[in-house]
Amino acid sequence: MVEVDISGEALKTNVLLHAIRPDQPDGIPNPCARLLMNIDTQLVEDEQRYRSLFENNPDFVLFQNQTGVILDANQAFLELVRRPKEAVLARPFSDFLPPDKAPLFNEKLAEAFQGHKVEFEVDVQLKGAESRVLNVTKVPLRVDGQVTGVHMVAKDITVEAASRSIIAQQARRLNTIFESITDAFFLLDRRWTFSFINSEVERLLGMSREQLLGKTAWLVFMGESLGEFHRQFQVAMTTGNAVHFQAFFKPRQLWLEVRVFPSEEGLSVYFTDVTDKVKAHEELYRQNQDLQQFAYIVSHNLRAPLANMLGLVDLLIDQPREQRQAPEYEQLLHHLLLNTRQLDTVLHDMNTILTVRDKQGVSEPEQVPLAEVVQQVVESLQDPLDQCKGEVYYEIPVGLCVRGTRAYLYSVFFNLLSNAIKYRSEERPLRITIVAQPSQPGPGTQVEVTDNGSGFDTQKAGADIFKLYKRFHTQPEGRGLGLYLVKTHVEAMGGRITVTSTVNVGTQFVVHLS
Amino acid sequence: MHTVLIDDDMTSIFLMRLLLQREEFADSITSFQSAQEALGYLQQAPVPELPKVILLDLNMPVMNGWEFLEALQPVAPHVLDHTRIYILTSSLAQTDLTRAAQNPLVTRLIHKPLDKSEIELIKSETTE
Repeated sequence: MVEVDISGEALKTNVLLHAIRPDQPDGIPNPCARLLMNIDTQLVEDEQRYRSLFENNPDFVLFQNQTGVILDANQAFLELVRRPKEAVLARPFSDFLPPDKAPLFNEKLAEAFQGHKVEFEVDVQLKGAESRVLNVTKVPLRVDGQVTGVHMVAKDITVEAASRSIIAQQARRLNTIFESITDAFFLLDRRWTFSFINSEVERLLGMSREQLLGKTAWLVFMGESLGEFHRQFQVAMTTGNAVHFQAFFKPRQLWLEVRVFPSEEGLSVYFTDVTDKVKAHEELYRQNQDLQQFAYIVSHNLRAPLANMLGLVDLLIDQPREQRQAPEYEQLLHHLLLNTRQLDTVLHDMNTILTVRDKQGVSEPEQVPLAEVVQQVVESLQDPLDQCKGEVYYEIPVGLCVRGTRAYLYSVFFNLLSNAIKYRSEERPLRITIVAQPSQPGPGTQVEVTDNGSGFDTQKAGADIFKLYKRFHTQPEGRGLGLYLVKTHVEAMGGRITVTSTVNVGTQFVVHLS
Repeated sequence: MHTVLIDDDMTSIFLMRLLLQREEFADSITSFQSAQEALGYLQQAPVPELPKVILLDLNMPVMNGWEFLEALQPVAPHVLDHTRIYILTSSLAQTDLTRAAQNPLVTRLIHKPLDKSEIELIKSETTE
């Protein structure tokens, strides 16, 4: 049978059953003569049970007619409104409601009279009572298919509602905190599933909450390039120690600085985009390398002719006045002049290099017709080409333009062609081909400059080939500036250059331009 | 005293020759503008013709002074028994000084230009 402390739901159902369909328990004696009396007894008993259930119910229970008038009210309700039964019965329930809540109750009552069970929650202060949060159920009472009244059972859920709102508030607060921190933040449970994600995560990873929540972390951090993330997360989870690392997130081309804190529930992961920082670091590293190159130039290429000049001057001073007609006197002067000029050249080179690097006095990048520039270079080198019977063939689509600076492009091709002439093979006439085509894979244009000259040992020269004042031939005289300038100019235009070479076969430079 | 000069800079060679002759340091001087050529010469020179002194420049194209020293040891170990090698460089870099001090094949590093006092010192070292 129904107990008073069971849930409101079960209670309502049973009240309903008792009211409209009194049960016929098993085991009743069956003779026809006693049947009626037994039914009467049964009805009385049922009625008492029902009353007890109604009266002793800890929830507030009312029975209302269609106009909302209270036909019956239980003890709990009377205690709530602090009135005796006579002061409650035959009065509309709306008398006990604040004016703003009356329409809601009326509307729900009307719905219940349509034959539907209705349920709602409301924060209400009944007249004479304290403010409560109520879970209200209105159950229609049917007699012969007609709704003759409605039972209203109101359960006091004030405490429950308060704790529920505290939980909701805390969740909101937590959410606000995780949204207001500038770090991206997500939580992984012990099954590697995303259980919380802030909007910075969505922004940095380029994936929405819907795509991530409830999914495994390996959905995002998968693939060979993201092995570092996988490894570090595993370490944090298995050792229980916090980890801190920096790794490249290839799918978004971002450098991420990641902090992982393990807990009972899984991993808390914070990360920020440090791409700019890493780029700045690389730039500093590159500039430092350049500075070292300059230190090298100062110690070798400025110091070398200067050391010679010092030695020559020493000898000149030692020369007795009467011996100044001696043959070596002329030689000393000649060498002194040679080295002074050399020193001047190095200073000029440094000026050229610094000008390129500072990008001073250089026009903005523009679309430059490639064929035109190459033609100009070939024309300016026509004399030395004719002298060595060299030939230049070029295959450059008409109207093909590359993004860059005309002066830089001119310098690049001038230096490459001068080198080809300088380092031609004596065994065969020089032949240079220049082929321009779309880069594979794109975008941009690649230009191949190929010669059949003396070549060099790529293995040995390696990365030094483009370095300042590095030379790879003893003859003829080269300064080691040309290819350094070529590379600097190509890179200043956002391009890159590669080289392959075979001794006594030739050299091929490939210039990639945007 | 037979002396070998290895330097790609012709002024440097001219200067060293002149100075060594004036100081009557060497009776014969052989000079090379490429370390590879010098290596070939030392490899096939009969022992009596080996130089007493080699003055070696560092910064040279194709094969620099350090590479020359590395190549010399396996191909002509006997050279090292008869010859003192001095590095003569315009480089003021500390790294070169340290490297020279650590290399057992090198007697000393001398900064260019070569002068009388240095020549005297080499002379006393080689006649010990």
